[in-house]
Amino acid sequence: MSASHHLLRLQCVRCVSHFLGTPVRQVILPGRAHLQTPGSQHIYVQLLRPFHRSAVCSTDRQNRTDIEKLVEDETHHKDKTLVTHDDIFDRAAGDSKTKVEFNRVVDVFKSKDIRRRGHVEFIYAALKKMPEFGVECDVTVYNKLLDVFPKEVFVPQNFIQRMFNHYPRQQECGVQVLEQMENYGVMPNIETKVLLVQIFGEKSHPIRKFQRIMYWFPKFKHTNPYPVPHVLPSDPVDLAQFSLTRIAADLDAKITIYQYPSTDITETGEEITRPHIVGIQSPDQRSLLAKHNPCKPVFVEGPYPLWLRQKCVHYYLLRADPIPPEEKVEEEIDPEMICPEQSLFFPQRVELDLKVDMGDDHSFNVDEVEEGAVYAMCMAGQGDQATLSQWISGLQETCPILGQIPTVFRLESGPRELQTSTDDHQRPEQEAETDQIIEDDEEPRHSRGVKQ
Amino acid sequence: MAVSRTTLKSLYGVCGVVYRQPLLFPSSLKCASIQITRSKFERDYQRPGQPPDTRWPWQMINFDFSKGVESVRKHFGLLKDEFFQRWIGPEGKPIIEHMLEQTRVVWEFRGPESLNEWIVSSDQEIGGRSVAYVSLGKNNTTCLLYGTLSSTPPRDGETRYSGYCSMRSKPPKASFDRKKHYDWSSFNTLHLRIRGDGRPWMINVSAETYFSHQRDDIYSYFLYTRGGPYWQDVKIPFSKFFLSSRGRIQDSQHPLWLDKINTIGFTLGDKADGPFQLEIDFIGLNNDCAHTEEFAYELYKKNP
Repeated sequence: MSASHHLLRLQCVRCVSHFLGTPVRQVILPGRAHLQTPGSQHIYVQLLRPFHRSAVCSTDRQNRTDIEKLVEDETHHKDKTLVTHDDIFDRAAGDSKTKVEFNRVVDVFKSKDIRRRGHVEFIYAALKKMPEFGVECDVTVYNKLLDVFPKEVFVPQNFIQRMFNHYPRQQECGVQVLEQMENYGVMPNIETKVLLVQIFGEKSHPIRKFQRIMYWFPKFKHTNPYPVPHVLPSDPVDLAQFSLTRIAADLDAKITIYQYPSTDITETGEEITRPHIVGIQSPDQRSLLAKHNPCKPVFVEGPYPLWLRQKCVHYYLLRADPIPPEEKVEEEIDPEMICPEQSLFFPQRVELDLKVDMGDDHSFNVDEVEEGAVYAMCMAGQGDQATLSQWISGLQETCPILGQIPTVFRLESGPRELQTSTDDHQRPEQEAETDQIIEDDEEPRHSRGVKQ
Repeated sequence: MAVSRTTLKSLYGVCGVVYRQPLLFPSSLKCASIQITRSKFERDYQRPGQPPDTRWPWQMINFDFSKGVESVRKHFGLLKDEFFQRWIGPEGKPIIEHMLEQTRVVWEFRGPESLNEWIVSSDQEIGGRSVAYVSLGKNNTTCLLYGTLSSTPPRDGETRYSGYCSMRSKPPKASFDRKKHYDWSSFNTLHLRIRGDGRPWMINVSAETYFSHQRDDIYSYFLYTRGGPYWQDVKIPFSKFFLSSRGRIQDSQHPLWLDKINTIGFTLGDKADGPFQLEIDFIGLNNDCAHTEEFAYELYKKNP
């Protein structure tokens, strides 16, 4: 709030400065110093200095770190060779690539040269390196990057500058920072706006981009009817519960945790890891399963993918084949229910055409897709037959009819094997081996295990 | 040569992954899956670094006698339909049926020939690695769009983003390849029955425009899938579609005019690398009288 207040004040002072000329700019500076984040106080110092002064004089040569040396080298030898700023990040960070390291590199670059020579290239390099440092979703880091731009230099001063594209490369760079924020879904804040106004002026391209983001982002923030949290639960059981309630599409569906993940060590020293098994079944599915013809088998199918933002989880289904039309049983309604003696206030069935008008038919003229009924769903830590038969035996406690129905496992190759095969494909010479794996995987599909 | 070999192998690799990825209804894999991609002449994107196509237009036409006979039969059939259908009523339906129409099924998938109305494309056109296929689902009554998304940008030095797969309907053509448009002005809601895998898609509707610089204008909205084995009925009012051009959402918005609709398309580009699938039962239109909104976004002049 206070930032916007300063912004307003700044505007007023600038209006006055048109009449008074340049001396007012000295007055603005202390006011602007408040806008800086506490970590970047050197900018305040820099802005108080006359603009055209050597950077070398201002640097304190006593306590320079090796990163500073690096940046110094880059800036000094720039006229001789093509230098990319990617190296600064790579060399400075070393092994630990964190937000602290990233901020340190940016700080060092800022404190190095008062004229911020090569800041556009530096920002482009930083944008490219952001995902490596894991800071691509942090708005404060973006603000810090925008802070690298020198203030007040690129603001158009007269109508000719305002009419033409003033400092186009710098504006493009600013737009690029905002576009990366947009791509990662980062909402800019008021500090971003203050920085952009200070750097590029009121009606520049980056400000336009900022306004577009601020207009459209909140509009589409809550459009998803099946929302996924930004941070998914890390516990696999919690994740399975969340995904199963999402795909069940039934609020009455009940989640049962058949087995928690655990690791046991037997007396012989072998480790036995028990995967988690989480299942879900709604009352409708249970009644459907109770009506299932015991002569026909039910199938355990899977794994099917489900995407929750960037994460893919897999689930398994217990389902039947579609019933052929000659075996379908019509639901017979008790004749006593439709007779004239039924309750007048709570009629079981009404033979009235309740359509209001002849044109009010809102049904679509399409055939229903014939599919087998789904009886239960589960997610498990391992997709092998032993784990899933544990799930089936757990289901038998609530649905005793499953004991009479033969269960057939139609399992495809699991997600883990898929992962290895993709790794193999990255090395092209291993293609022959991969083919073998595919053939191996198809064999168990042919030899389906039948469990009574 | 070495480069082309490696790309071929990587392509095979991706296909292998696609084949082995379990689909929601795996029986469709047994039938031949069709990959209908945009032909080279329908693309207007020239990759950076590629030489332009310098052939003359007539060199690109396939002059074939059997094809000629086929097209004569098709076009005169269409002409006959156009001539005689108007004696029955508008669009070949009796007038009472046309006036009382509240719902219409525009696309449904009931056989392999219904897939010929669709064009599948992926970022392979710009040098990316995604692959997309379309085939009929189980019982040959649905359309199954599947493939693998990969957001690795092509290494041509210019392209910065990549990773999309899309399916688009072919624009309707009258006889002798004249332009024809869908007239949906008596409806206000798009109704789809789909089944996805939890990924968000985007629905793009393109309408006929007047000026040539509006050629890339499309109206888009999001299609969120829930995932899971159940079908999902999605109703999207046309008032919610927003205008975008060449992938950029526009400042000056405009409601979608439904009297001249050319194509509808589905695009996936959610930056999550991996296999995807979307099953579509039908795409229909509905006149929802409870929905009175004209346009969901502000129409005042922004950024003055």
